[in-house]
Amino acid sequence: MTHPGLLRVEGLVCRFGGLVAVDGLSLVLGQGQLMGLIGPNGAGKTTVFNLLAGAVRPTAGRIFYRDHDITGHKAHRINRLGLARTFQNIRLFGELSALDNVLVGFHGRLEANFLSAILRLPGYVAAERRMLDRAAELLDLVGLGGLQDERAGNLAYGQQRLLEIARALATRPCLLLLDEPAAGMNPQETAQLAVLVRRLRDELGLTILLIEHDMHFVMNLCETLVVLDHGKVIARGDPARVRRDPGVVEAYLGAEVDLDAREAPGA
Amino acid sequence: MDALQQIINGLTLGSLYALIAIGYTMVYGILRLINFAHGDVLMVGCYLAWFGAVMFGLPWWAALMGSMALTALLGVLIDQGAYRPLRQAPRISALITAIGVSFLLENLGLVVFGGRPKAFERPEIFNQILQWGDLRVLSLSLWVPVITALILAGLLLIIHRTRLGMAMRALSRDMVTVQLMGIDTNRVVAATFALGSALAAAGGIFWAMKYPQINPLMGVLPGLKAFVAAVLGGIGNVTGALLGGLVLGMSEILLVAWLPELAGYRDALAFVLLIGILIFRPTGIMGEELPE
Amino acid sequence: MSRISRWFDPGPLPAQSESRGRDSGLTILGCLGLAALLWLIQAQGGGYVVHMTTLAGLFAVLAVSYNLINGVTGQFSLEPNAFVACGAYVTALLTLSPAEKEMTFILEPLIWPFAVISLSLPVALVIAGLVTTLMAFVMGFPVFRVRGDYLAIVTLGFGEVIRVIANNAQSVTNGPLGLKGIPHLTNIWWAWGLAAVTLFVVMRLVNSSYGRALKAIREDEVAAEAMGINAFWHKMLAFTVSAFFEGVAGGLLGHLITTISPSLFTFFLTFNLLIIIVVGGLGSTTGAVLAAVLFTFGGEWLRVVEEPLDLFGLDIPGIPGMRMVVFSLILMACMIFARQGILGKHEFSWRWLIALARRRGGRA
Repeated sequence: MTHPGLLRVEGLVCRFGGLVAVDGLSLVLGQGQLMGLIGPNGAGKTTVFNLLAGAVRPTAGRIFYRDHDITGHKAHRINRLGLARTFQNIRLFGELSALDNVLVGFHGRLEANFLSAILRLPGYVAAERRMLDRAAELLDLVGLGGLQDERAGNLAYGQQRLLEIARALATRPCLLLLDEPAAGMNPQETAQLAVLVRRLRDELGLTILLIEHDMHFVMNLCETLVVLDHGKVIARGDPARVRRDPGVVEAYLGAEVDLDAREAPGA
Repeated sequence: MDALQQIINGLTLGSLYALIAIGYTMVYGILRLINFAHGDVLMVGCYLAWFGAVMFGLPWWAALMGSMALTALLGVLIDQGAYRPLRQAPRISALITAIGVSFLLENLGLVVFGGRPKAFERPEIFNQILQWGDLRVLSLSLWVPVITALILAGLLLIIHRTRLGMAMRALSRDMVTVQLMGIDTNRVVAATFALGSALAAAGGIFWAMKYPQINPLMGVLPGLKAFVAAVLGGIGNVTGALLGGLVLGMSEILLVAWLPELAGYRDALAFVLLIGILIFRPTGIMGEELPE
Repeated sequence: MSRISRWFDPGPLPAQSESRGRDSGLTILGCLGLAALLWLIQAQGGGYVVHMTTLAGLFAVLAVSYNLINGVTGQFSLEPNAFVACGAYVTALLTLSPAEKEMTFILEPLIWPFAVISLSLPVALVIAGLVTTLMAFVMGFPVFRVRGDYLAIVTLGFGEVIRVIANNAQSVTNGPLGLKGIPHLTNIWWAWGLAAVTLFVVMRLVNSSYGRALKAIREDEVAAEAMGINAFWHKMLAFTVSAFFEGVAGGLLGHLITTISPSLFTFFLTFNLLIIIVVGGLGSTTGAVLAAVLFTFGGEWLRVVEEPLDLFGLDIPGIPGMRMVVFSLILMACMIFARQGILGKHEFSWRWLIALARRRGGRA
């Protein structure tokens, strides 16, 4: 089954001084796909996200989003086009409340200008009310319903990760990049997260690309995987195939070990 | 001959800016802090030298040395008292405190010394007018670049050939790792402030000899311009500070020489250059990319 | 939390939506109360008290504006003295009569059209505000390309450039001689009226989606950009709004002290404002107003250390300039020990006051 390419990356290269972080990455992500980007530490995965989201400028290569060439575009422009992300090291607006964090996500698409905001013109007031309702919905969706007024910096680590997702959702994306969303979560939270991610794809129609180290999480959730090592793609395909790829095993473990034999705790 | 005259003037002014800029650049390189108080430390150095010469009748070189030593101490005091408590605080807090220290020194100076400028004795050796044909040059203008070069050579020796210098260079790359290596970073930072402040005192004293008067606000504009010079040359880089200082000094002198109608705007030149360099080459002449 | 701040903690506050009507009513009541107080001061207070109250109002405007770019948006700028100077000069040049201008500009005649026009104060103020806003807009392009610490130096530099221009452009600003004989049109109502408008506009902005965007930029600019916020334009928004009010306040300042010259608008003014917003709480608009009033009156009260004191028969000579030393020490102490200032990032609100009164009053 072929999907039309929502995201198309061709020969992406990223060099920092002498270090090549990403070396000729190409991939195609179809509408509605759930793809995992995995690889050992330092493989360049977050750099790929930074390149896709516009936080870092690629040294070479092209990125196409819905056939638009978005290579080198600024982060906020890429976000407006429909690409949202979360961060590996949580980057919430710590002093603001959870609700305000999500509300910020709506601001990029606010149609009222600052004058109508100052004068509280009806157009702005209506938009604000809509944003408030929608923000509350998103917080409920990720399971943070009662924590609206909590200072974001005071939330538990797992809650902060969920808040980042809610905030990203507020920007109305079509493509969601999740950078280690399960990091620091216990097995129960991880299971709930998996359910949430599936809901995001099934109910909200999002296309999702995620980075994760939790193999059990990734193998069960993603339909297709791309494996990165030292900035290069060393394998791609469905989880069953990738798991058996000797190159992948070696990259992760440096020896011949059967990945199937490793069971996640409480599985 | 006129061109040569201007070049010498530019070299002198540039050297003075360089001496002051070095202190800024060293502190910024390590702490990522713009030490707003640096220009005022220079002012204190001048007054200390003045005291030494006028009150104690010291010969100029003794007053200079003594002032440099005491000013170094002041720099360390400021760091330990005002900046050290804020090492872990957000950068804006340290910046605001630096402004506070600057303000404090200026106002203390006004309170203690009054706003009226005091005359500064120019020692005989610097007061000769040397003449070659059309060229009339104050001996000070020739001595300053030479002395600056010597001081700079000494400093570069310290930075590249001593353990302290190595620690300073390492610290400007990665403070956390250096701490983990067991090096007492506070000592190194204090030494950096001491060196920078001593140099600023020297720069200030020669400045005071050149425009022979001192007042409590004398350090403000030279300080600001010296910071611009440091940015021009590439912040964090000592040789860059020298280059930046020379470029700025030269540009000011040439502006006054070629466009005398705009002479009143010479103080604004530094900032025009600053805007320019920040737009076109933010890392400065010698700069390397500073890690975010 | 320290013991002091714990006393001020009213516990969980009721939701904002529940008390909106009551809060608006209280605010209107508060404004009427303030107006009554001002009328009383104007009628009963001596010239000195009226002058200080007027000055306090202008400083409130400056503090609120400065806090918008510095505290709310987190951009460490040192710009106010440049914009205040611009506003003061433009307004004065527009309101002075042509005859006065001819008398003042003795070295070089004033350029056209300033030489011939004379406008009313409100019109001149608006024009000055717009000119300052335009200046900020143009400045914004190079200024906001640079990182945080450099921003301070660049904006400080602009202030210096403005001062240098004011000192040299003889035919526009009359150089170091400055402008004198500016009509004393600023009264307590102008100052506090402007303060009310400024507070209204800024609070409305800060409490809107735009305010959230500005705070997001302050908290984490990279994340804000990733969420679709064009940081550059939002910084520009805060900067130009600040500039407008700083310019208008500058115009009123000129018409209060009736003589302006380049030496009046040095970085000392900016540093004073910095102290005010830090003490009030970087990021708190109401804190800025509070601190501005405290600073203006407290500063006057502090003059006492500059006068000779007769303490228990001991003659302590006055030390002129000591006030500023004390202010610097206050700033430094604040940064080292009480970085949040008085209100931190919180705002004064009626809900807070009532909840606190209930909690403390109930105990009594």
